[in-house]
Amino acid sequence: MKVGKQKKEKVIRQKFSTKLMWKQRYLLLMSVPFVIWLIIFKYVPLWGWTMAFQEVKPKTFALPFWEREFVGLENFKKAFTDRLFGQTMINTVGISILGIVIGTVMAILFALMLNEICFSRFKKVTQTVSYLPHFVSWVVIASIAKMVLNDGGMLDTLLGKNLKLMSTNSVLFWFVVCIINVWKEVGWDAIVYLSAMAGIDQGLYEAAKVDGANRLQRIWHITLPGIKPTVVVLLIMSIGGALNVGMERQMLLSNGIVQDHAMVLSWFAYIRGIGSNNYGLGTAIGMFQSLVGIALLLIANKVAGWLGESRLL
Amino acid sequence: MKQKRFCALMLVASLTAGILGGCGGDGDAKTSVNGGTEVSEGASGDVVELVFYNADGKEDPWTDPVAEALTAATGVRLKVEYPVSSDDEKVALMIAEQNYPDLIFAKGDAGSLIEAGALIDMTDLIEEYGPNIKKMYGDEFDKLKYSEDDPSIYQLSSYAVGGEVFKSAGTAQLQWDVLKENNYEIPDTLDKLEKVLKDYIAAHPTTDDGLDTIGFTLSASDWHWMITLGNPAGYIADGAPDNGQWIIDENNTAMYKFRSEAEREYFRWMNRMYNEGILDPEFATQTHEDYIAKIASGRVLALFDTDWDYSDGEKILKGDGKYGKTYAPLPLTMNEDIKCPTLMYQGLTTGQGIGISTSCEDPVAAIKYLDYICSDEGQVLVQWGIEGVNYFVDEDGKRYRTEEEVKYSVEDKDYAKKTGVGFHNYPFPCYGNGVTDSTGSTYTTTSRESVIADYDEEQKAGCEAWNVDLLLDVFPQPEEFETPDYSPIWAYVKPSEFDEIGNQLDEIAWSSLISCVVGDEASFDASYDKMIADLEDAGMTEAEQMLTDIIKEKVAIVQ
Repeated sequence: MKVGKQKKEKVIRQKFSTKLMWKQRYLLLMSVPFVIWLIIFKYVPLWGWTMAFQEVKPKTFALPFWEREFVGLENFKKAFTDRLFGQTMINTVGISILGIVIGTVMAILFALMLNEICFSRFKKVTQTVSYLPHFVSWVVIASIAKMVLNDGGMLDTLLGKNLKLMSTNSVLFWFVVCIINVWKEVGWDAIVYLSAMAGIDQGLYEAAKVDGANRLQRIWHITLPGIKPTVVVLLIMSIGGALNVGMERQMLLSNGIVQDHAMVLSWFAYIRGIGSNNYGLGTAIGMFQSLVGIALLLIANKVAGWLGESRLL
Repeated sequence: MKQKRFCALMLVASLTAGILGGCGGDGDAKTSVNGGTEVSEGASGDVVELVFYNADGKEDPWTDPVAEALTAATGVRLKVEYPVSSDDEKVALMIAEQNYPDLIFAKGDAGSLIEAGALIDMTDLIEEYGPNIKKMYGDEFDKLKYSEDDPSIYQLSSYAVGGEVFKSAGTAQLQWDVLKENNYEIPDTLDKLEKVLKDYIAAHPTTDDGLDTIGFTLSASDWHWMITLGNPAGYIADGAPDNGQWIIDENNTAMYKFRSEAEREYFRWMNRMYNEGILDPEFATQTHEDYIAKIASGRVLALFDTDWDYSDGEKILKGDGKYGKTYAPLPLTMNEDIKCPTLMYQGLTTGQGIGISTSCEDPVAAIKYLDYICSDEGQVLVQWGIEGVNYFVDEDGKRYRTEEEVKYSVEDKDYAKKTGVGFHNYPFPCYGNGVTDSTGSTYTTTSRESVIADYDEEQKAGCEAWNVDLLLDVFPQPEEFETPDYSPIWAYVKPSEFDEIGNQLDEIAWSSLISCVVGDEASFDASYDKMIADLEDAGMTEAEQMLTDIIKEKVAIVQ
């Protein structure tokens, strides 16, 4: 804690002035293309959000903005009163939280284990093998997962009984999805933690060794506190994206029975917006998702600040 | 180091190849345009190139003999575009960009095109340039009209006009081997089928390969549920023809079909079969690929499906020579009072077909092309090919194909693409099988005789045992049914307000029906009641009323 505070004081805040701007003109000029890129690709498309307040169907899609019929908050009302909306929100938040918790814990555990391996070639190979699934499309992962987990699949055959993993319409499906996701992403997520661990001063470990700390104690008192800031930053970022649960994963893994527990916001926006040709409604759902995402991000950031961690924003 | 250089070399080589390939493609296209012009110079001067989007299309360079003959006759050559992956996106993009091809076959997306005002009204054009189109549709011409308020003709139909059914898988299917054990006695009710399946499983618990025998299975993990779980329920329990998830009664009133008491009993039977292990216990989670793989292994005794849906599996069985494991069509119903509606002619299927877009600069050329396709000459050209090459005419003026030609067409999977025969008919208007022209020959190459000639050993044995010429003769014949005044509902272009509710009803029915089937028998009624209540909440009654009104309108146009 003390170290952190000292560091903070060292940064001298310079006052904003024309003189300063002139002094940093080259830096500023260099950032201009990226600012323009940001505006064109990230802010201009936000104009499309106006569709959320209009009735936009194929008939009116091609009309200029001012000729479309404004319906106020009608689209939002329709989205929030949809029979699927409540369950969809619960699913989205549930799968997200579960995913973040299981995902982070597993990634850290995995990174710790890799970090403790002395045989560096084995470590490298394991690392490479473990992050390969990250690059494989969900279509492939889902087919593999279904082969293993479906009724009468590999796992059922191995254990000789029907576990009904994919055919129980309950929160069990959330766990199944999250575990498959961990299998796919754990290696990739661990990379960041591994690099954070690599940045920890080796002197600390030596000092601890001299003081008689065993392996677990060293992990607990040096490695974990060392990667704490990284963990917090990543958590804040993932909480910001909590509502953005990928649609393809849900679509590919679900089936008729688990529908109720597989539907998530992005998928909901897709079937109601594109599927029913009601683009305004789809935009409204997407916009809701983004706004809640921003709110969550700010809250998470604030909480991190209270907990005495460096804030992201 | 050497390795790296080699990699780089490979990369450069492949990139170059890609670029050259791209150029090569362009070059080809250009020369073929020129080729087309040459052909038509003799006929009518300039060739008009029309861009044609075909939602079911394949690559078509328009270079085969039939295509050249079409260009020679009409002065039109088509540049065919087709969806690379999902067709939905392509039509949505067309609307977003306001950039349409000249001719569009959008299949199920026609509704959004019409709503977007992308298709022109063809009524006047047909009046002026389309005598053959009118002749082909005859009495059913008015069915092409969009609605009572807007009697425009936006699309022709991509489905056959009139004709007979010679090949059909029926309502349900049973392996020939199982039928044989039952002395070819047709189990035409659910009770009889249940007994036959149970007896066969008792006698043959495993297949020759040692796999467990499955009574029957379903494909229900995606939209296929409508084909294997939804449709047969209507045929078997209510004797109702295919109108999507709807039953239309004699007063043309629509009902969401799972509300029917008879279907409740049908699903109760399914539920019992599931709990007794006759229905595949894995059916709920298996993908369609798993389903096909099971069929291909020969373990599945019966199906509730349609030929185009399971044919991939059956092809493998035939390839392996396991003809006994292929399927016989079954006129199955719930009890003797219900008539199996498989062969019923439901009238012209409208709502999916070719339309001319507002971007088309020469709609007259487009309609003339469509009219030529509908003419006798055009129909014979696209169905039979070129006289003296693909078919010949005998002394009586009847068309026939040589044995080599028939063999060629069956054995070479690229036959259609190479010769152009049968490559340019769908999704253009066409006559149904068995309809004859002025010479007395059929418009299509498929006829009663050709189908019988194509039967394999099992099918021949079946015909003999049943004492019929055509397998389908054991079904209630088309004459026993009255053709309704409305086209089949599933293909209709429906207003988006209706689709919004309709889609939700289907969502509910899909997951609820599966839950009903896989639940225990005691809770079946409770689950089914819950589904009906959910459907009611989602606006079932409202949707029924809307559909009834739509049908009334359609019938009013025809009368």
